[in-house]
Amino acid sequence: MLSRKPSSALIIVGHGSTVNPDSSAPTFDHAEEIARRGLFREVYCAFWKEEPSLRQVLHMVEADDIYVVPNFISEGYFTRTVIPRELELAGTITELGGRSIKYCEPVGNHAQMTDLLLRRAQQIAPGVPPAETSLFIVGHGTNLNDNSAVAAKREVERLAALGLYGEVLSAYMEEEPLISKWDEYSKCPNVVVVPFFISDGLHSYEDIPVLLGIADESPGAASASGASVFQRNPYLLRGRTLFYASAIGTEPLFAELILEHVADFDARHGALAAS
Amino acid sequence: MRPVTEQLERWLAAGGREIGEIAITRDEAGFELRHRADQGRTDLATHTGAEAARHLANADDAGKFRPLKTAPTLRRGWTLRVADGGELRRALDYFYPAMSGVWAAHERGELRPVPLRETLARQTGMYRVTQLITDEQAQELVGRACRSEDGCLKHILWELAPGQPITTLSPEKLQAPPTTAALPLLCHEACNLLVAEARSVVKKAQKPA
Repeated sequence: MLSRKPSSALIIVGHGSTVNPDSSAPTFDHAEEIARRGLFREVYCAFWKEEPSLRQVLHMVEADDIYVVPNFISEGYFTRTVIPRELELAGTITELGGRSIKYCEPVGNHAQMTDLLLRRAQQIAPGVPPAETSLFIVGHGTNLNDNSAVAAKREVERLAALGLYGEVLSAYMEEEPLISKWDEYSKCPNVVVVPFFISDGLHSYEDIPVLLGIADESPGAASASGASVFQRNPYLLRGRTLFYASAIGTEPLFAELILEHVADFDARHGALAAS
Repeated sequence: MRPVTEQLERWLAAGGREIGEIAITRDEAGFELRHRADQGRTDLATHTGAEAARHLANADDAGKFRPLKTAPTLRRGWTLRVADGGELRRALDYFYPAMSGVWAAHERGELRPVPLRETLARQTGMYRVTQLITDEQAQELVGRACRSEDGCLKHILWELAPGQPITTLSPEKLQAPPTTAALPLLCHEACNLLVAEARSVVKKAQKPA
């Protein structure tokens, strides 16, 4: 539980998109939820591809004590290279112009991520016995210096260890095991698919549904209208009953993970970083 | 502490009433915002609270997503009510992200413009190739992508390289105007949209004819 930080600012960093407002929407939603609770003096978002940019956001902040939490599914190129470079961070704690900037871990790294995946899987298929269900966690795969596949695999192991589901499997859009072969890899009569992404967008609205066989390729760019794919559950195909969830990052409880990361930062760095 | 909201409130108290395409009026209930081109209209949809600004700013009149909020494409037909200076600032942070903070830093003399070459030299991954853009290509790109008419309303404070100014935009566009009733929109560093465009220019030039 995070105690109030009335002298501190929180910056939540997302990737953003120049074509699709759904990419930044969950980051804005989580920021609004956290701001509403009044835990911090100020709460901001910053993005790589949208505004405010990483190069602008520090000018918005009034406080001298600043926590930065990357709203990313895993460590990788953005959390290790792009965000530190653009914010001019020197490490975990950066003293810059009379300010302390505290760089927390990416949201997806938190141990409670497993609970959120479980919750999402249960919500999407109410009343369906987990023991007779194959649960897929779908990552991207093959991204530049991206550990999202590793993170997806880690979550699959944790979920499997709970022993609730008939089986828990990882699959990817662009590398084996491919999500397009979901019926070959799974053996339960029910199948639940949860995209391991920070936001909805082209991948969750269109690419994965096409690979699953529950949607046709559309000629235009995916948009919010693509969200209807989540409302037609269950899909009866290939002799199974398939439930398809929206991206895990749209889960409102992600706001809790962001706060947990700030609390973890304080616990880890203690008095040194306390303001 | 950086007194951003206080600076904004001082500007409002001194008669500030305009930012970008937005007109601000003050009354006993707080502030009302609307598109400048909608002044005098009585048939506007009324919204309340800073958070509504996020959705008003997201798409243009045709419903197209606006990744660059300082593009001259703010939709019309609405008013937004906010209670006080703090909430006004939050609304402006959705309409024109970071612009009050960047302006406030400029007013305090703390804003350092970053030359385009420095921004490009920092890029890695898919944007590293932007370092190959020629001066001529960069000038043409900035003149086309950043112009106020159909690109971006910000005033550009950076040069191509130190001592090498942008030559493809008007002198007025390339300096911070004095703060008057209108709060200036300031660009102290090229945005990712411009960097992405620079990549397209380089890639296109590399393609064999």
